[in-house]
Order: sequence, then structure tokens, then C-alpha cells
Amino acid sequence: MTAQPTTPVPLPPDRAALGAAKIVVPSLIGALVALTLGIYGRLHHPTGIAVNIAGFTSPGYVKSWLATVATVFAVVQVVSALVMYGKVPHVAAPSWIGGLHRWSGRIAFILAVPVAIHCLYALGFQNYSTRVLLHSLFGCAFFGAFTVKMLILPKRGLPGWVLPVVGALVFTLLVALWFTSAYWFFSTFGIHR
Amino acid sequence: MRRNTPLMTLLTGAVLGIALLIASMLATPAKTPTSYNAAATPTPASTAVAVQSSPAVASPVAASPASTATASATALFRADYAGRVQGDAHASVAISIHGTQAIAYACNGSVVEAWLRGTAVGGRLVMTGKNGAVLTANYDSRRAYGNVSADGITYAFSVYMVKKPSGLYRATADVRGATIKAGWIVLPDGTQVGSLESNADAAAPSATAAPPLDVAAGTAQDGSTVLHVTAISGVTGSGF
Repeated sequence: MTAQPTTPVPLPPDRAALGAAKIVVPSLIGALVALTLGIYGRLHHPTGIAVNIAGFTSPGYVKSWLATVATVFAVVQVVSALVMYGKVPHVAAPSWIGGLHRWSGRIAFILAVPVAIHCLYALGFQNYSTRVLLHSLFGCAFFGAFTVKMLILPKRGLPGWVLPVVGALVFTLLVALWFTSAYWFFSTFGIHR
Repeated sequence: MRRNTPLMTLLTGAVLGIALLIASMLATPAKTPTSYNAAATPTPASTAVAVQSSPAVASPVAASPASTATASATALFRADYAGRVQGDAHASVAISIHGTQAIAYACNGSVVEAWLRGTAVGGRLVMTGKNGAVLTANYDSRRAYGNVSADGITYAFSVYMVKKPSGLYRATADVRGATIKAGWIVLPDGTQVGSLESNADAAAPSATAAPPLDVAAGTAQDGSTVLHVTAISGVTGSGF
């Protein structure tokens, strides 16, 4: 009994297509995350209040400090990544550099989450000035990009440039977020608690 | 196991976010503006956090989510309002909005007065102060209108935007261990309405008429003490 001629012969796995799917699917999920945040921020009526950490002058200061600390950890991310990839001359990657990279990233992300929730719940996606519109867009994009980064991280066989590019995108978005929020806040209202 | 740690990071963040969102929903007071005390109950999911309250006020500050005003257009906003309240020849109120934060002062030029802090979001002001003082109002780019209660007296007001030198002024000084805190509302016609708390750190500070304010010099003379006065302005951010 031979196979019917109409039965499609399974194609040999196309490496490039598989590699692309490994990027495309996480990217779509990341885009969905960014869209969900943006739509929620746009539709939910801002309340002006959310749970917050006591001991600061205002929620703006809580958020600005959290964002600043997160950004400092993000700088640690870039430096540790450069060391891991051997891009820093005369510095051999120590054994703990991977742990430093993972934990600084986790801390930065966990610090950014309450800030984002306050933004989404209390303030919403806004467009009444360029700064605010950019900040709203960057905020949604950051969590989308971070989702992509986390989803492609365990995947094997990706082109070598993918992780650095996505990581750089996440970092750039966080710094842009910081400049359009905490930097503006501190320079407008002063640096204190 | 190692391969799944990024996913664990994502899920941890998502769970934290959802928990904070639910806690925020539970902490948000009911829509009636008088329920400003409802926010005082911390939610179970936030044992380490509390509803944000300004250290300058005795009660937690809560914004009412109810507003039909255009939230997106007025969520960040800078303005100063001042004027007389209704039904009282002297009592006045001044409100400064800087972004989502607001400072207000209500005063009848003698014993009735209150400093208030709170939030300005979506055209709605909700502010509280010491001794049960509370202010709720709507605001737009022309006027602020609502009610303010100070020392047990509730005033209705509709006050308009003003420009310096009209508006709100504040002076604090430490004299013999007590904090003096004075406030002046300078009305558009130049009239000053001001009161002075001789012990502002008290839970229910008692007030007397404030000495005249020299707006140009930024000083006022209280007996032998020269008070240096700060302009409170939402437009410039001064005093916030």
C-alpha cells in the first residue's frame, strides 16, 4: 500500500521560518499587552487616586523615585549585558554577572509595575501635551517590549542580534519613560521625598 | 526550570499589577464627594501601603472618581482662584491647582480658617484639612465652585481665576517653640482677608486676624516678628 499521491509530503523544517516564528509570536503577544494597557488606560475613567506608599509628599514623588530606582537598575542591566557579551575591553565576565543581570532586571520590572498601575488607574492614557502623549505611548510600549524580551529569552536558536536589540529597545523605552515623567516631575516640583 | 524563569518574572509582575489594581479599586471611595473618610481603610492586599495622604492634612485625601467633566483636557492643569464665599461679607476662599495637586485656604479674616490639601482630577477638587475641614468643588478654566467647611461652618462659593498679586499667600515662622502660620487671600480688588494661627501644630489651631500683608515686600509684621511670606501659586508652582 503506497501513500496516496495527494497526501502532502511534510516539508523539511525551514530553519529561518521557525526562527521567525519564535520572534513573531512573542512580538504579537507583546503587542497585545501594549494594546491592552493603552485601551484600559484610555477607557477607564481616571480616579486621581490609587494605593500608594505612605511617607511621601505625593503619589508623584513615590512614582518618580520608583521610576528613578528602576532606571538605575536598567543601567545595571545594560552594563552587565555588555560585560556578559564581552563588549567591555579588559573585563572578563565574572561568574555572578548572569545573576546580577537577571536580578537587576527583575527588580527594575517589579518597581515599574506599581508605577504603571498608578498611571493606568489614577491618571489614564492621556494626550493633552506632547510629553504626556509620548509618556503614555512609551509606557504601553515598554511593557509590551518587556513581555517580548521575557518570552524570547528562553528560546534557543535565535539569531545572535535578537536579544541585544530587544533588550536595547526595552532599556531605551524605560529611559524615555523616565525622561517624560520623573525627570520632568523633579525638574518641575523639585527633588525631595 | 531555568528556561521558565523569564515567564515567572512576567507572571509575578502581572500578579502584582492585578493585585495593586484590585487594591486601588477597593481603596477608591464611593462616588459621593462627602465619603472622603472611606479611603481611610487600608485594603488587605496592601498591608505595606496606604492610601496616599498628604502629611499636611489630618485626614486622608481622596479624589472622587465621579466627574462628567473632560478628564483628559483638565487632568493636568495650573490655575489660581480666589474670591468671596456666598452669604458672608468677609469669608473668602483661594484655591491653587498645580497638576493634580491642590492647595486651598478658606478664611473669614478672624477665627474661621482652614488650610486644605487635596487632588484636582477631571474637573473635580476634593480636599481636606485639619479639624475636619473639607472642600469639594468643580473647576474649569474660568472658575471653581463648590463648598468648603471650616471650623464647622460650611460656605458655598463660586470664585474666579485670579492673577498675582491677587491670590493666596502663606507665612510660617517658629517663635519660642511654637509654629506661627498665617494665610492671606488677596482678592482681585486688593482686599486682604487673612488669619494667623499662633500654634499651627495643634490639632485644632485657633486663629486670629492676621496682620496686614505687604504684598510688594513679601512680609508682614506680627508684633516683634517679621513674617516672610510665600506666594502660593498653581500657575508658577510656588508653594507646592
